[in-house]
Amino acid sequence: MSEAVQEKRSISPIFWLLFGAGGMVSALFGPALILITGLLAPTGTGLPESFESYGHALAFAQNPLGKLILLAVISLFFWHGAERLFLTLKDMKAGPLLVLKLGTYGVAALVTLATFALLLSIGF
Amino acid sequence: MSERRPYRRPMQPHWWANPPYRAYTLRELSGVAVAIYGAVLFAGLISLARGPESFDAYLGFLRSPLSLLLHLLLLAAVLFHVVTWFQTLPKTMPKVIVDGKQVPPQTITQIATLAAGACSLILLLFTLWVAR
Repeated sequence: MSEAVQEKRSISPIFWLLFGAGGMVSALFGPALILITGLLAPTGTGLPESFESYGHALAFAQNPLGKLILLAVISLFFWHGAERLFLTLKDMKAGPLLVLKLGTYGVAALVTLATFALLLSIGF
Repeated sequence: MSERRPYRRPMQPHWWANPPYRAYTLRELSGVAVAIYGAVLFAGLISLARGPESFDAYLGFLRSPLSLLLHLLLLAAVLFHVVTWFQTLPKTMPKVIVDGKQVPPQTITQIATLAAGACSLILLLFTLWVAR
C-alpha cells in the first residue's frame, strides 16, 4: 500500500518550492536589484563609474557569498518564470506538454547548471 | 450505447487575452519579466567568465538606450509582480489567528508589501552607502 502511494508521489512540489522561493526573493529585492544593476550603475547615478567594473564584478563573483547570491538570484528567477510560463502555456494549450516542459523547466535547469559551472570556472 | 458526452463549456480561442482572464495572464507574465532579468544577470556572468573585453562589451550594452528602456519595463513589471505576489500570499499561507480573531487577508497583504518595500529600500540605501 505504502509503495503504491509512494509511486504516485508527484515531483511538482519541488517546482512549487523553487517557484515560491524565486517569487519571494524577486518580490523582496527585485525592484532594488533592477534599479541598481540596470539603471543607476550604467548611468552613474549615485554610484561611481567603477561600481560595475570588471574588477569589482570579478571580486563579487569570486567571493563565496557573492557566488551564493548570484546562483540563488539567477537560478531562482529562472525557475520562477519557468513555472508561471509553463502553467500559462499549458492552459493556453500552446503545444505538447513535453515541449512546454523542456522550453520552461528545461531552460531553467540548464541555466542553473551553467551558472554553477561558470561560478566554479571563475574561481575563488 | 452509453458513450459519455459531457458538456464542455465553449471557450473563446483567445480567452487568456480578454477579461476576466487577462488579469491572470498579466500576472503570470510578470513572472517571465523576473526570468528575463535573471537572463540579463546570466549574460553578465558569461561575459565575466570570458574576460575583461567581453565584460566591457556587456557594460556597453547595459549603458545603451535599449537596455535602459528594457530595465525600465522590467522594473514596472516587477513592481506589478510585488503587488500581485502579496495579494496572493494570504491565499497560499495558513490562517493567522491573533487574540482569537483571524487576521484579514488585506492586512497581511499590506504588511507584506510594506516589508518588501523596506527590503528593497534597505538594499538600495546600503548599496549607495557602501559605494559612495
